[in-house]
Amino acid sequence: MKGFHLRMLAAVAGALLPLAPLAAQDASPISLVGDVKAVKTITEADGTTRTELVAPAAIVPGDRLVFGTDYANNGAEAVTGFTVTNPLPAAVRLAPDADPALEVSVDGGKSWGRLADLTVPQPDGTTRPATHGDVTHVRWVIASIAPGEKGRLTYPAIIR
Amino acid sequence: MNRTRTFKHLRAAGASMAAIGLIIAAVPAQAGGVTAGTLIENTAIASFDDGSGARTINSNTVQVRVDELLDVTLTSLDPGPVAARPGEAVLVFELTNPGNGPEAYRLTANPAVAGNDFDTSVLAIAIDSNGNGTYEPGVDAILPAPQTTAELAPDAGLRIFVIVEVPASVSDGAQSSVELTATAVTGTGAPGTIFAGQGSGGGDAVVGTTTASALARGELVAGVVSVALTKAVALRDPFGGSEAVPGSIATFTITANVTGSGSVAGLVVTDAIPAGTRYVPGSLTLDSAGLSDADDSDAGSASDAGGVRVALGTVSGGTSHAISFAVVIEE
Repeated sequence: MKGFHLRMLAAVAGALLPLAPLAAQDASPISLVGDVKAVKTITEADGTTRTELVAPAAIVPGDRLVFGTDYANNGAEAVTGFTVTNPLPAAVRLAPDADPALEVSVDGGKSWGRLADLTVPQPDGTTRPATHGDVTHVRWVIASIAPGEKGRLTYPAIIR
Repeated sequence: MNRTRTFKHLRAAGASMAAIGLIIAAVPAQAGGVTAGTLIENTAIASFDDGSGARTINSNTVQVRVDELLDVTLTSLDPGPVAARPGEAVLVFELTNPGNGPEAYRLTANPAVAGNDFDTSVLAIAIDSNGNGTYEPGVDAILPAPQTTAELAPDAGLRIFVIVEVPASVSDGAQSSVELTATAVTGTGAPGTIFAGQGSGGGDAVVGTTTASALARGELVAGVVSVALTKAVALRDPFGGSEAVPGSIATFTITANVTGSGSVAGLVVTDAIPAGTRYVPGSLTLDSAGLSDADDSDAGSASDAGGVRVALGTVSGGTSHAISFAVVIEE
């Protein structure tokens, strides 16, 4: 059993290293496609401002990005217990205008909840409320996806 | 049963692998922001049950590179206008790189600022090489033209000395400013201006909110000290009048008036005993206090042969001293 466990760990490690090719696996009914857009603020001639989502270019600290994941159930059967976990890259923090209902973790994925309900331990033993900068992961849980159903999950981030 | 146990192991392994992935991608945290050239990578991991068992799949990984932010701050470190005499004076500034990539800066000093009472001339711009805040010729490196600093790391600072010459013709209290400008070597411009491909780390360089150019002023106040000596005489003749006849006593009062900002050091007032008169022993006073005639430890000495000599030492501007002595007109 222990030997089998170690082999499974190795396979998972191979799949999760950035840019490593996906390990060969059975065709999955779910497709998961990620993208990233930058939020650019455009000032109109009359002084009003609007924001646009554009391909990232000239990104510097303080800029806003939106990371998106499109999912689709291309199979014949419903998919249940669909959980998408997104570790935040270390160089970004969750933007303050993120959906307050978004499920987040501030402890590396060990525990989850809404940001407003989470706390962070201090060096002196007390705790303080968690802030957007403490978030390490975001997560979406969808109970069931019918065949042919698709959707998009996004979270906003700011470059640290 | 077996399948469910395996799934739980996978889930746990997946979460810990994701956490380890985050640590490997750790990024140095600094006030200027994420280092230029850093690659941000985002991957989503989905776990689900498709009816035939539990599975985990990854999305593709999207990548964004962080570009270099060009910024600069420049501040005068002098607590107030620097009091300067004709000759060399030093103005001190601090330059920092608040951006996220290493950057060198070009420095220009302009002594001809509108509104100056007088202009100095810039002798040199030097870097505080040993970081002690004081300009030390021979220790602190003078920048050759075009004065450009070495590359500053993000959040690093540099102390800069601007050495100027105050002209000899200034009047006391006259003011002069010197403007120092620092510009990022990669480029400056309106915030958001992009210098494609010129960012450190391989990306673009983007001008930040400071426009990558900063100006700071150093101020000087000329301090010139002057000494003026005036001499007055009061006569008393043997008959109760004020004629200058043999036997009359002439009391001379020399007033040393020091004006201006600063002080003079080693001020000594001397006067000869006029021909045809004799010094009246014991009549030498400084500010109404008697001084002994002998050349001893007090400030004054007087004799017929040597005349009167009073050492006033260091006298600050706005002070005056009165020296008086008496002579008798000889028969």
